[in-house]
Amino acid sequence: MTSGDRAAEPGAPEPIPASAPPVFADPLDGAAGRPPLDADGIVVDEVARSFGSVQAVRQMTFHARPGRVTALIGPNGAGKTTLLLMLASLLAPDAGQIRIAGADPMRDPRAVRRAMGWMPDVLGTWRTLSPRQILTTVGRLHGMPTAAARARADELIVQARLEELARRPSRVLSRGQQQRLGLARALVHRPRVLLLDEPAAGLDPTSRLELRELLRGFAAAGGTVLISSHDLSELDEIAEDAVFVDRGEVVGGERLVLARQAAREWRIRALDPQALSYQLAHIGVAFDRVRIDGDVAHVALDREEDAADVLARLVRAGVPITHFAPAVGDIERTYLSLAGGRR
Amino acid sequence: MSRTDTAPMADEASRPAPPDASGALGWLRLLGVVVGLELAQRVRSVAWYVLLGVVAIVVGGVITVLFLSLQGYQRDLGGAIFAMTIFLVMLVTSLVTPALSGNAINGDRDGGTLASTQVTQVTASQLVLGKVLGSWIASLGFLAVCTPFMLASAMLGGLRWEAVLVAIPIVVLEIGVISAIGVGLSGLIRRPVLSTVVSYLFVALFSVGTLIGFGVATIAFQTEEERQEISWDYDEQTGNATCVETDRTYTTVVARPDRVWWMLAANPYVILADAIPPHFGGDSYPDDVFGQIGLGVRGLQEPPHVESCADYDPMGGYQGDSPREIYERTVPSWFVGLGIHVALAAAAVWGAIAAVRAPARRLAPGSRIA
Repeated sequence: MTSGDRAAEPGAPEPIPASAPPVFADPLDGAAGRPPLDADGIVVDEVARSFGSVQAVRQMTFHARPGRVTALIGPNGAGKTTLLLMLASLLAPDAGQIRIAGADPMRDPRAVRRAMGWMPDVLGTWRTLSPRQILTTVGRLHGMPTAAARARADELIVQARLEELARRPSRVLSRGQQQRLGLARALVHRPRVLLLDEPAAGLDPTSRLELRELLRGFAAAGGTVLISSHDLSELDEIAEDAVFVDRGEVVGGERLVLARQAAREWRIRALDPQALSYQLAHIGVAFDRVRIDGDVAHVALDREEDAADVLARLVRAGVPITHFAPAVGDIERTYLSLAGGRR
Repeated sequence: MSRTDTAPMADEASRPAPPDASGALGWLRLLGVVVGLELAQRVRSVAWYVLLGVVAIVVGGVITVLFLSLQGYQRDLGGAIFAMTIFLVMLVTSLVTPALSGNAINGDRDGGTLASTQVTQVTASQLVLGKVLGSWIASLGFLAVCTPFMLASAMLGGLRWEAVLVAIPIVVLEIGVISAIGVGLSGLIRRPVLSTVVSYLFVALFSVGTLIGFGVATIAFQTEEERQEISWDYDEQTGNATCVETDRTYTTVVARPDRVWWMLAANPYVILADAIPPHFGGDSYPDDVFGQIGLGVRGLQEPPHVESCADYDPMGGYQGDSPREIYERTVPSWFVGLGIHVALAAAAVWGAIAAVRAPARRLAPGSRIA
């Protein structure tokens, strides 16, 4: 899809640029405080859930706002899947409150299910049924009349590029095609909130791009997206907000601040590598901060201001710079510093 | 991929109207979707067709052999052939249905498809009842493939229509009971293999367990009784023997099936035989298999008979009660047995509905929900 396509759509909102740095949910941030329960989007307030003696979710509080894509990030076993199951109205929390588009999954699960589309990580499909039958059935299970469910299924099959396989049993679908079918299934009833667990796994580059466009469009039209993934560079592209979870809790406060202040590597490339390494030493960058890797220099810098300063000095010194960019994205950097802080 | 396709609130009017949850029609419509989903999966599985074929061949083979070997008898074979067919269908469906229903819910859990239905507007009861109905309808296929043999027996003559009208609904209901128990257990037990085995154990409990229980209990409840001896005075002049009740007594061990006969009431074959109104022949003896089994089971309700001179006519001939009299003074039990079956099936379904309800508070150990 090109931007020209988008412009041709009258009334379509402009996607929110992905380059905006993600905003990290911080439960200790005084201004934000505890999210109001009547807020739209996804509200999670002091939610806890244990399985026997295992505390899968100790205490999570955050607010995924409508109109934005929120990333849910954390190491394996951090409680992400348990949280998503609670948000999907399948699992009851032991304590705390959840609101999906204003509805309480404990009190009114049907309202939550009407508003929410869910794409689990391991997708079960009715293997003998065709994608078209699956989508039609899901639509009807959501209460759509048969004709409307069929029309919606045909629409989504085109969107998921499954036309050629629409009438074959779904067991012949590849992993990536299954993922596309799973996303289509989550969208059948036009939900306002999307819960996605590793949606990009197994997708080819084209499909990833389409997924990104789709999620941005969804958010731009006022929808709420919560996306759990380990593909941090992918999240950096899509997500505007991020929630870090670790050992059943939302990471916030000092740990998050420290993690974000941690030094970050910048990747610098120049037409003349020798001049680059010489000038880096010459303009006063400490030698233990520089790592030369072939033609590329990696420089660890604490702040963005430092990066701007280094770039200005290199240009002033006449180094022909061709590339000057963070080696890792914001989300990845924060995640890695947090993970590093645990050890 | 066009933007409006995915826009969550692009056009409120085009969004599906919230389904009418309270309306019975809407409720049934969603139930129908679940049944349709179950059936759509089954008609695409090869196993189901193979089983149908096997059942048709087995039942057809037995009936044909039976027909050929009974042809020498000069009587109407229709009733006997029909009874055979019905009992065979009952046997075969009770052996196949648990395999079709015993993993309905936990199999879906393992496949990850249960959660996809749970996050829709379908309620737990619609989901479980839909699976019961789907499995029931699929198992009725086994009754359907045996219809030709029943039609053939009708053409042979001697078939009583009241037997058909009672037998078919009872077989249909029994298949439903087994389907419901299988689906219910698959919701209550986490592992598909275990729930299927337990469903089979329930079938065995009804069909064989009731017989074993009855046999064992009959022996356990036997009593020692003191009986008066009777003797025969033979008059040499007239050649007549006269029955005389003597003062001598003897002790004997008496089996007491009359105390435990109710155990047989839960046996599906007994239910079938007991429910069909018998037809007594000229010798006041039932003239079809259903009636003969029914009489045998009814006779067990009678307390042990104490022999006395009243049993004999002056000529020394036995003049006890006729089978017809015994049948008519004992009580029918088939609806009690059927009631027990339906109650067990309802309990299993109710338990499964509670287990499928989401959001779930409690999970069975080691279970996955998505």
